[in-house]
Amino acid sequence: MPDFVYKALVKVIDLYTRIRDRVNPEWSIRNSPRIREWKLMAYTYSRSPIGLVGGSLVLLFAIIAIIGPALAWQPYWEYKVVENPDLWLSPPCFPPSCSGFPLLGTDEWGRDVFAMIFYGVRISFVISLLIVLIGAPVGIVLGLVAGYKGGVVDEILMRITDMFVAFPGLVLAIAFATVLPQRIRGLLEANVQLRDFLLFLFGLRPEEYGQLASLLSVLLALVIVWWPIYARTVRGSVLSIREQVFVEAARSIGLSTWKILVRHILPNVLSPIIVMMTFDLATAALLSASLSFLGLGPQDPVPELGFMISKAGQYFPERSWHIVVFDGIVLLLIAFGWNLLGDSLRDVLDPKTRRSIEVRLRAKKAGKGGKSD
Amino acid sequence: MGLLRFLGRRMLTFIPTIIGVLFITYIIAYLIPTDPVRAWVGGEKLLNPEALEQVRIKYKFNEPWYIQFSFLVSQLFSGQLEDPIRHRLVVQELGTKFPVTVEVAIFGFLFTVAIGLPLGIIAALKKDTLVDFFVRFFALFGSSMPSFVLYYFLILALFVYTQTTYLAGVPLPSDACTTMIAGLPTSIPVLGHIAFYIGQIPMFGAAFCGEWSVVVETFKRFYLPGLALGMLSGGFIARITRNSLLDALSSEYILFAKARGLPKLWIWRHALKNTLVPIITILGLQFGGLLTGSIIAETVFNIPGMGRYIYESIMRLNFPAIIAGTLLFAIIYVTVNLIVDILYAAIDPRVRY
Repeated sequence: MPDFVYKALVKVIDLYTRIRDRVNPEWSIRNSPRIREWKLMAYTYSRSPIGLVGGSLVLLFAIIAIIGPALAWQPYWEYKVVENPDLWLSPPCFPPSCSGFPLLGTDEWGRDVFAMIFYGVRISFVISLLIVLIGAPVGIVLGLVAGYKGGVVDEILMRITDMFVAFPGLVLAIAFATVLPQRIRGLLEANVQLRDFLLFLFGLRPEEYGQLASLLSVLLALVIVWWPIYARTVRGSVLSIREQVFVEAARSIGLSTWKILVRHILPNVLSPIIVMMTFDLATAALLSASLSFLGLGPQDPVPELGFMISKAGQYFPERSWHIVVFDGIVLLLIAFGWNLLGDSLRDVLDPKTRRSIEVRLRAKKAGKGGKSD
Repeated sequence: MGLLRFLGRRMLTFIPTIIGVLFITYIIAYLIPTDPVRAWVGGEKLLNPEALEQVRIKYKFNEPWYIQFSFLVSQLFSGQLEDPIRHRLVVQELGTKFPVTVEVAIFGFLFTVAIGLPLGIIAALKKDTLVDFFVRFFALFGSSMPSFVLYYFLILALFVYTQTTYLAGVPLPSDACTTMIAGLPTSIPVLGHIAFYIGQIPMFGAAFCGEWSVVVETFKRFYLPGLALGMLSGGFIARITRNSLLDALSSEYILFAKARGLPKLWIWRHALKNTLVPIITILGLQFGGLLTGSIIAETVFNIPGMGRYIYESIMRLNFPAIIAGTLLFAIIYVTVNLIVDILYAAIDPRVRY
């Protein structure tokens, strides 16, 4: 397994260098130290069991998220009322007691929980990715500017982030998630193309654009809560890097502020930020599920994991333990995958740890080889 | 003296933060396209335009925004602000909700410390063994667990099957005790005030009057949410403790102590003292977070605390309550930060302000 991962990663790196060479001849020769460092990263990553487990979990859920809605054998909008056809709703049930063959039991709409998990994973995966991929860049840019410019700009930006940090995150998110849906709904009604694209992204059908508005408000609310942490962290690292000689040198050549920030400072603050983003993907998945658990996210019939668990809570534990258990495990595994990946990336992306791990592994290998000879 | 000056300066920088927090809350309120007055005035009054108009005038909704804002804030600081849905003073509402949250926070904090510190210390001392692996696994597990799922499992184990707890109400001291505590500030000058505020927390009030059965009931009621909160954040504390103890163990003075041949217990004690500095910070912030109330825990465990109150207020667009709650949160945040700073100086003699 480790060798396979290492070879695959090296192949990807080689492919990338070949493409860069095609565009820009001799790129790989000028950047050979960088390429060597990438291969070293691939080596240390492929040797960390935590990282491999986390990576495969993330990969598994990414695949489920991509092809899940197509695989789900029961569309979420098809309610089968199994027990009480005249009541429309029936309590959730687990296989031996209910008719048909739902793999993991049914919810109160008579839908197979396993099929609903496919949709739920898609929603949860996409929303956490969007939260971090929108929130982090905003925070990074503001942090870069605040840290590099200093003075009044810094003071104002940091006071603003202070205000956001002084709020308990969940309360602020709840407040925004309550306020935003109506505004977003208007926006979605005006932009049909944006709406269709987002519906496709979340794996929902066109009828659900009202639910999409509340889903997006959860997304936006969490983005608003998210960026201050990044702004603070980035600013902290920029403050120390700004004083270093290479930045001084770049400034003395007369490079523009923008270029100094992007080409010289950003790469130096990026690796802890990437680790943070990986951990935050787990937190974002959990927090968005928590908001839907509180009833702020999409409503019926959208099978959001947190919302399904909150509905199952009404019948807990006799009739609906399976929904809480299985949906809970899926949420747990999504977050667990990202956390494991982040834990190993922290070692892989830090140049010093990377080196020491490599030295230790090679020494171990050499020792083993010596004994067998 | 230096510490006092530092604290004074910190306090000054916190003032714009608090005003800003209030302002953000107000802006959020302004984003709402619906009329909050219609949400407050329920039932038959909704059909009566005069009643609507009265409420609107009472909360200055027909004035420009800055008058509304200054009205809300000035009423809030003078304690006259009324909750438009419950028709009680917001201060009174917070006065009944906040002590409950404090109780839960104390239990949560105790469990966090009781789970996190020992696990972290053991993991650091037995580094790279199976124990260490399990502790690290537990830490990651705690940060990946959806909180509400854990709460349901704990309810299943400790409420449904073993029935060692219950999930309704808050144990309160008897009426005689409450009136006794309410009379304290007038009878004893300074200590009385302190005792009065501590006595507002039902558990401590009951203990003060010697009503131990209420204390036991409180323990039975709140240990489950406490355990749940402790399990979620204990892993995080364990990880911090482990890393910082490992840092301390690999430093030179420990090497020196080993070289002198000190017993292991002494060496660990030296290391632990230096480990505490970062942990105190994290624990302080954790406690601050618990004091603002865990909305999900309070919903699942049915606790009438701050988190639920704020959540319900947001859902019903109850702005006076939301603004008051936000102010309380901001004050908690500021105080916790200050206390952590003071503790820092007290523990670490190198830190001087």
